[in-house]
Amino acid sequence: MKKNITINLCGRLFQIDEDACEMLQHYIESLRSSFGRQEGGDEIVDDIEARIAELFDELRQQGAEAINIDHVKDIITRIGEPEQLAGEDSNAANENKSGHRYDSARSAAQGIMDDMRARTAGKKLFRNPKDKMVAGVLSGFAAYTNTDPVIWRVLMVLLFFFYGVGLVAYIVLALILPEAKTPEQLLQMEGKDLTPQNLADVVVSDGEPKSYSLARRLFSLVLKVIMAFFVGIIALCGLALLISLVLAILAIVCAFPLPAAADVSLPFGIDRLQLLLNFSDHPWVVATFIGGLLLMLFIPLYAIGHMLLTRAGKTAPMGIGQRILWMVLWVVALCCLIPSIFKLNERYEEEYNANYKRTHTYQGVVMNNRDKDFLRQGGWTLLKAENCGHYSESGEYYNGDFNERYLDAYNENCSEIYQVERKEPVEPGVYRLDCIARAEGPGTFIYAIAGETHLKQIPVYGDKGGELATIIQQQLPDSLTGDTFIKINERTIRVTDEMMESQRVRDGLGWSPVSIENIVVKGDSVAYGVSTDAQFTSQPCRAKWFSATDFKLTRTGDLPKTNNK
Amino acid sequence: LHTFVRRTNKQDKNMNIENAKSQMRKGMLEYCVLLLLKHRPSYASDIIQQLKSAELLVVEGTLYPLLTRLKKDGLLTYRWEESTQGPPRKYYALSNEGEQFLAGLESAWEELSNTINYLKNIHPTLIEQ
Repeated sequence: MKKNITINLCGRLFQIDEDACEMLQHYIESLRSSFGRQEGGDEIVDDIEARIAELFDELRQQGAEAINIDHVKDIITRIGEPEQLAGEDSNAANENKSGHRYDSARSAAQGIMDDMRARTAGKKLFRNPKDKMVAGVLSGFAAYTNTDPVIWRVLMVLLFFFYGVGLVAYIVLALILPEAKTPEQLLQMEGKDLTPQNLADVVVSDGEPKSYSLARRLFSLVLKVIMAFFVGIIALCGLALLISLVLAILAIVCAFPLPAAADVSLPFGIDRLQLLLNFSDHPWVVATFIGGLLLMLFIPLYAIGHMLLTRAGKTAPMGIGQRILWMVLWVVALCCLIPSIFKLNERYEEEYNANYKRTHTYQGVVMNNRDKDFLRQGGWTLLKAENCGHYSESGEYYNGDFNERYLDAYNENCSEIYQVERKEPVEPGVYRLDCIARAEGPGTFIYAIAGETHLKQIPVYGDKGGELATIIQQQLPDSLTGDTFIKINERTIRVTDEMMESQRVRDGLGWSPVSIENIVVKGDSVAYGVSTDAQFTSQPCRAKWFSATDFKLTRTGDLPKTNNK
Repeated sequence: LHTFVRRTNKQDKNMNIENAKSQMRKGMLEYCVLLLLKHRPSYASDIIQQLKSAELLVVEGTLYPLLTRLKKDGLLTYRWEESTQGPPRKYYALSNEGEQFLAGLESAWEELSNTINYLKNIHPTLIEQ
């Protein structure tokens, strides 16, 4: 049964089915919109309308009671679609002077667009619950474009192997696209009209049990497991990210050192929050950081809250636009946050380094606390300190005492220029300077200055053997009971357990006694120290490192009488 | 997506031939319509009938933009005539200008058909010489 209406076409009345009438109306409208742009367009359409009336007349003469949809279809094929007419019109072709290739490419593109439009006309994109493997995204696409879901599935598998783009796209789409749940949505998904008949069909078919083959159900299960696995991984990553973010906030707010910048001697009174708020030179960085952080935290919380409310039936699910908006916002927030964190950390490190320099300088040279303390306590004056890896060292003291520090400089290319000196007030007389030292190569000197300059090169033994080990071995008693003391250069040293236990220490670590005799002191002080400075020693330094310790000045006699006169 | 691409390729090839044909038809159609109207005024459906029997018209709708354009260019005139059956009809006729135009087209067609005949009948050996 069909509803029949009467229409007036060019002053003549025709009986026509409702659907046929709709089609005719649509056709004439599309003609009008197609010809409407050109001059006399309305006249053309009026003429065509007259022609249609004529054809209807013919049909009536042939005995058709009412015009039905097939009649209208025939007439449309006969007269032609608007695109055909426009294409055949020589005027339009004249206006378009671009080449044939462009024309054909354009009409091919136009063809695809028209095809797409025809296929997707009046449809909405949903996840399809009726034919789903995992979440129904692809069969939703298939329903939307009126194509076979297999095409989309194959495409997705290909994309999966393309750096997993397919997987990420699928998960994002599954989150964005709502599922078609109500009969209305199912009809919209397939582009069917919302008529009572169609609704009834959907409701009836919805009730039918879905029977898929075992293979398909198994495959679907496998896919779901794979997907769940990846979603789990992504969720874990997200959780880790969230936790590290919270930690980062705590670190910034509570001035905890960040793990990357963690150091025992941190932080030198720098309050990170204060630093953050003091960044008047980077107001945008701070604003981006705070804004990004808030958005990044707020959006997931909002989404979870909204989801819970939706589950509870309190609110309607978010629309696609809203979902995309939140996702894009979140990604933007992330993209803003990460560089701002790097920038802030960079800024923090700058501040930290500046502060380190302020607090770790000894006589104008930046060094660590141990070197600084050692030099200060020893009363050493830094005369030269270039290219030195360090200024003192411990761990290879000649008796094996790991805590004992000694003067030490190091440079892989033997280019260290190191000179430290200290002044000792003495009575006039003749003195001897004793010390224990070792060197990796020639060119390192012990010196004493009292009127004239005395230089003595440190014997080169490296870190093995040395003259000192021989002296110790000679003095070492056969059996050790309790503490054992050995005299070296009128100095008593304690033989440590380490020395007795370690063959390496007993064989010597390269140390030798170095003495400068006959230092004639007429004034009231002696300056002595070590130097690798070629300008001072007039010999180039060819040692990667050297060590020196246990300096001692001993008076050996009065000034010579000739000098007394 | 694959189907779209395949369709497009097929469409493309067909379209090259179709395009050439329609270009030819486009040029011819104007001449033919003027020829038909040379001897007696006709209304659109008459013209359609005759063109269709000559297989010059694929879709009827093409004629209407053409008639409108020719009228606009001053080559055609029309008058309304009551019909015994159905609504009044537009009877088209050649204007003076249209007759001159047609004469011009006829000589052009003469040349064109001579050229094409010559090209079609040319003997391969003649080309070689």
